[in-house]
Order: sequence, then C-alpha cells, then structure tokens
Amino acid sequence: MRTAVSHSVLICDDAIFMRTMLGDILSQAGFDIVGEAETGAQAVEKYRELRPDLVTMDIVMPDMGGIDAVREITQGDPAARVLMCSAMGQQALVVEAIQAGAKDFVVKPFQPSRVLEAVQRVLG
Amino acid sequence: MNKYTELFATESRDYLMAMEHALLQLEADPQAREPVDELFRSVHTLKGMSGVMGYTSVTALSHAMESLLARVRSGDEALGGETIDTLFEASDALAQAVDVATTGTPSALDVSGLVARLTGPVPDGRPAPLAPAVAVLPGIPVRIHLEPDAPLPGARARIVVDKLASIGTVHGTSPAADALWADGFDGRFVVFLDTHEDAGTIAELARSAGYVQDVRVSAAPARGLPREATTADAAWSTGNLKAPLQRYVRIELRRLDQLMNLVGELVTVRGRLQTLAAAHGDSALDDIVGKASRLVGELQDGVLGSRMVPVWQVFDRFPRVVRDAARLVGKDVTLLLEGREIELDRTLLEQVADPLVHLLRNAVDHGIEPAARRVAAGKPPVGRLKLVARRERSAVAIVVTDDGGGVDRARILAKARDLGWVSQEAEDLSDDDILRVISRPGFSTAEQVSEVSGRGVGIDAVLAKVRAMGGTVVFSTAAGQGTVFELRLPVTLAIIPAIIARVGAEAYALPLTHITETVQPAAGTLRRVRGRPVFILRDQVVPLHTLRGIVGLPPRDAEGQQIVMVEVTDRRAAIAVDRLDGQQDIVVKAFDGVKGSSAYTGAAILPDGSSALILDVGGLLQEH
Repeated sequence: MRTAVSHSVLICDDAIFMRTMLGDILSQAGFDIVGEAETGAQAVEKYRELRPDLVTMDIVMPDMGGIDAVREITQGDPAARVLMCSAMGQQALVVEAIQAGAKDFVVKPFQPSRVLEAVQRVLG
Repeated sequence: MNKYTELFATESRDYLMAMEHALLQLEADPQAREPVDELFRSVHTLKGMSGVMGYTSVTALSHAMESLLARVRSGDEALGGETIDTLFEASDALAQAVDVATTGTPSALDVSGLVARLTGPVPDGRPAPLAPAVAVLPGIPVRIHLEPDAPLPGARARIVVDKLASIGTVHGTSPAADALWADGFDGRFVVFLDTHEDAGTIAELARSAGYVQDVRVSAAPARGLPREATTADAAWSTGNLKAPLQRYVRIELRRLDQLMNLVGELVTVRGRLQTLAAAHGDSALDDIVGKASRLVGELQDGVLGSRMVPVWQVFDRFPRVVRDAARLVGKDVTLLLEGREIELDRTLLEQVADPLVHLLRNAVDHGIEPAARRVAAGKPPVGRLKLVARRERSAVAIVVTDDGGGVDRARILAKARDLGWVSQEAEDLSDDDILRVISRPGFSTAEQVSEVSGRGVGIDAVLAKVRAMGGTVVFSTAAGQGTVFELRLPVTLAIIPAIIARVGAEAYALPLTHITETVQPAAGTLRRVRGRPVFILRDQVVPLHTLRGIVGLPPRDAEGQQIVMVEVTDRRAAIAVDRLDGQQDIVVKAFDGVKGSSAYTGAAILPDGSSALILDVGGLLQEH
C-alpha cells in the first residue's frame, strides 16, 4: 500500500455506520480522511472546499443523490476521482454514475480488500 | 462448407427449433408472453448471425419477424390466429432461407412478399422499408472475460468499454451495449475497437478496469461472430432476454464417431489380448490384462454415454408435424409427449425419426376419427395422440398411442383373404396377424391415397427400419379405443453383446437381446411335425431353423449341433448351429450390403480379426 504520500479522502454516505466503516478501512490503510458528507449537496460543497484525491460516494442519499453529485463534481473538476458505493441490484444506477464520471465502484457489503483494490485502481 | 457456415447452420437449427416450439405454445395460448420473448430472442440472434454472414434473405426475414414481434411486445399489434399463421409461415421460410444460404443452393429465394406481410402496411400504403441489415462492425475484436465473481458485471463492462474508448474508437460490442449494461451476458463480451495502440497496451488497459480474468486481442477483424451494433438494438433493453448459461459444449459429430470407432477397435483388441493372455497362464499378465479390460469397458461406457441424446431433440419437432397433418385433413388433434428426457444413441434417434413421423401421420389420417364420429361415440371431439419414451432395462420403448377407432379387423381380414395372404377359412386375426398383414409391402386399405400419409411408404417401411436398428415393433388395436405401436430399440447401436455361432469356417453373430438360452439337444428332440422341422424343449414344440439354411449353406447331419433359443415379443424359434463360440461384445460396423437382404443387420469384427455377419433375428421371426 502506498503510504509515503498519504492520499486525502472525502467520504459521502448518509449512514454514520457506513461512513465509520469506510473511514476505518481507509485510514488503517494509511489514507487521510479529510472530510465526510451526509448528502449529495454537502458532498459537492465539501469537494470544492477540500479538493481531496478521492471521493467515495453512496448512490442513494437525501436531497441530491450520489449520481447528481458525481455529475456536478466532475463538471467542476474533470480529473476528480470518484468511487461509487452501491448495493447489489443497483446495476443501472452504477452504469449511470459511470456515465456521469465515476471511475469505479464497490458493492456493499464491503470487503476491505475489495475496497482497497478499487481505490488503487481509481488512484492508479 | 467452411467452419463458420457449419457453425451457423447448426446453431440456427437450434433457434429455428426453439421458434417452432414457441409458436406452438402461442397457438395454444395467444396471450402468453414468454413464447413471444423466446421468439424475439431467437429471431434477433438469427438476424445478427446472418448479418455477419451476409445471408441477406435470412436477415431480411428475421428482421421483418423481429419488427412484427416488437409490435406485439409493445402492444401495438394483437396476436391473432392469422398473425400466428403468418409467423409459422415465416419461420418455415426462414428455415428454407437458412438452408439455401448454408448449402449454397444457387436458387434465389424470394422473401419479399412475406417480408411485406410481416412488416405490415405503413400509412402511405407501401410496405415499411427494411432497416439496414446489422452491420459487420469495423475494428479489432477485443474479447474480454470477466472474473466469475465480479459484482455487477454490467457496470464492470461499462468501465472496460470506457477505458478502451480512451485510446480509440469503440464501434460496438457483442452483446450489444444495452444488453451488456443490463448483465445480459455470461461474463464474456467483445469490444470492437479501432486504435493505434498495440495488443499489449489494449490488454493492459482493459485489465486496469478490474475483475478482468482474460483479455484477447485479435490481430485482424474476425468474421463469423454474431455481433450487433450497439445502437440499433434498443429492443434488447426491454423485457428479460437474458440467455441461459451454457452447460453444454458443441462437438463435431465426426469426432464422436471417430472416438467410437477407436473404442470399437480397442474392444476388439481387448478380446484378442484376453485370448492370448488366457493361453499363457501367467498370473501377473492375467492381472494386468484384467485391469486393462475393465478400463476399456469404462472408456466404452463413457464414449457410448457421450453419444446419448435426449429424445426431445427429435420429439419436439412432432407437435408441429401432428398439427400440420391434422390441419390438412380438417381434424383437431393434440399430441402429448412423455419421457422427453429419456436418452438414446444419437444415430438411433436420428434413424427412428422417420418411422415415428410416419406412425404419427398415419394415426392422424387413419386412426383418429372425424370430430362428428368421435362425439357420436361419446369421445371428446379433439383427437389425442400420445408419444411416450420409456427406459426398459437395456432397451428403450417408444410408444405411439391414438384414441381413435382402432383398426377395422373385418376389413383387414377381407382384404387379406382377397389377396390370398390368409386362408379363406380364417375367422379372426390376432393383433400380431394384423401387423403382419398391414406391414406387407403394398398393403393399403385407404381408398384414396391422402397427402398426409403419403403414397408407397407403409407400415412395412417402418418395420423394416426398426428391425434394421435391431429393434422390434409390437402392435395392438381395440375397436373404438385406438391403436398402439410400441417400438423397442436397443439403447446403443455401436457395441452390443452377442453370441458367436459357427457353421463350417464362418462365424455369425446373434445379438444377445433376442436370445433366451442355448441348449445341447437331447436325443429325439429334433423332429418333424407336418413336414416342418421342430425342436422339442420342455414339452414345447418350437419351429426349428438351421443357421446353414438361413445363410444358404448345404445342410449337414445334426451330429454335435447346438441350439440357440431366440424370442422376439411372443414369438419363439430354435436355431441349430454347428458350434457356439461363446459370448462377446461385438462392434457393429455399418454395412451397406445388408440393404435388400433381410438376413443380416450388419457386420462385426471379431477379436481374432476375422469378421462376422450379424443375424437379423427379429426379421427371421417376423418372416417365419
């Protein structure tokens, strides 16, 4: 795992449980969790403010959904690296998110190794 | 035929069969949506395949059918009897078009009329124009195989395609993009890519998408793969069109036959080896020969097993056969299939198809009465045919039953008397007698030859065919209740257990299926009754044949002769032979010389390298 330069991460999920879990997986692997967002609108706002190396984005969130958030983020920064977090059965939404600019996706329930692989792909 | 043509021909047959099946289901229930989906899927695939091959008639027809089906699926067109008839007609034409295209028959097939009817009139009165045939996509095919445990493979495919698009132009995918994103594939898909990058870079990039198990980059655009343009096939996104996972592989028939021949020779060599080892009396040698023999036996079972196919591969054609035959004579007849999953050697199954078609058509034409007569007799107006396959020890029974009026015994008897086939005093005919009479070449009680049963091919042809396969036919009929034909076939054709009998220096094989016992005749058991030779076995008088007589050798005195007791259905006979050489597995070889001669069904190679003719015991008893 590359830890020499620790990458900054913004975690977007409406569930505290999921944010905590993802945060643990990533920080244990040496990532720097610079912020968290509970809604899509918050995610867009925090991205502009923090400019993290990586965003993890839940698909279904209140007010602005994850897909719209991806669209807004990548419009502002085409190089943004967004990793979608999806549940099984959300294939169509994931495809839409990729169309909107997301780089990869992980499927809940999260397996730490799978998450880290996806993160490496997005950052690599 | 080139490889792709052959693949196309075989695979399209499967789709045509599936279409026919779906059409029959639709005819029974025009509201059913599943058969419409099935039809759509088959027609769509055929369209894609034929487009790649450049078979324009097939493409035009399948495209027209597809658009009609699309209208049905969207509810723009109701599915009535007339439309179903048109679809039946179109699927026949499609089969014909496939035939013409794959065999390279020069005759052009005009499908424009049908296409116009399928496509339906457009407002200005002209048939709707044909959409361009599915394009052969430009670009290099990049074949991707995702890991089996990849979550949301459709979304993963999307990432792969996006990655590849970043180094060139993606012209399309197979399956088409809409299907791909919706998981409508089995983990494998093809991306048609135009790029200046080399194969290594392409593969590396594709792998970087994650969960990619394998990437293959073709050097040049390959032909022959069914591909669809990504945009033209929006219909894929509607409904559940996901193809079932593949559980079988296609093997060229020639290879199976080759394998069978090799095993056949191995079995022959095994016999020779056993004979030699036995003469040696070396226990270590016996041991290893025994082991090798068992292995050869298992190999034989395995190879024979790989030749077994379920009877539905042929049976599923028959509902259509019965439907068409019934329509032609204005009757309403249903066919019930049972035991579709029973397996039979594929050669046997192919050979039994024609006799079965004949029996089914016969039943529709002569067996089932007209509706009015059925109602008058207190039967339901719709005639019922049943085709049942059943496994019985080492045989498979295939039974054709109709609930018609049964065979008119009096009429058969009268006709048989007229022809001098039975004595004028004969009062009654048993079921067996009837079969013998109606199976005489040239016998027909039908006043006029109908289109359904055809001319000239009678029950005699059915019997001859079944007997040539080493099978037998049992017949029974009951006035007012119907008629039953039971065909008993060996499960496999290629290797059968037989007893080897000798006359002089020649060897003949008698299939064990027909043999009940072998007997050393006691003094006084070989006699003549009313001038005919008989054998007395446990106080029973059995007709006696001599193998010498059957094969046309001069007779010899009975000294040292042995008797083989044979039985087919309820008929028994004794065959006197010079000498018995014991039981062996024999490998049946195709033998063209048997045609026209009723005494043999084939030839076999014996362990000592010599050959033996296989005696047609069933035929012998039928002739009596």
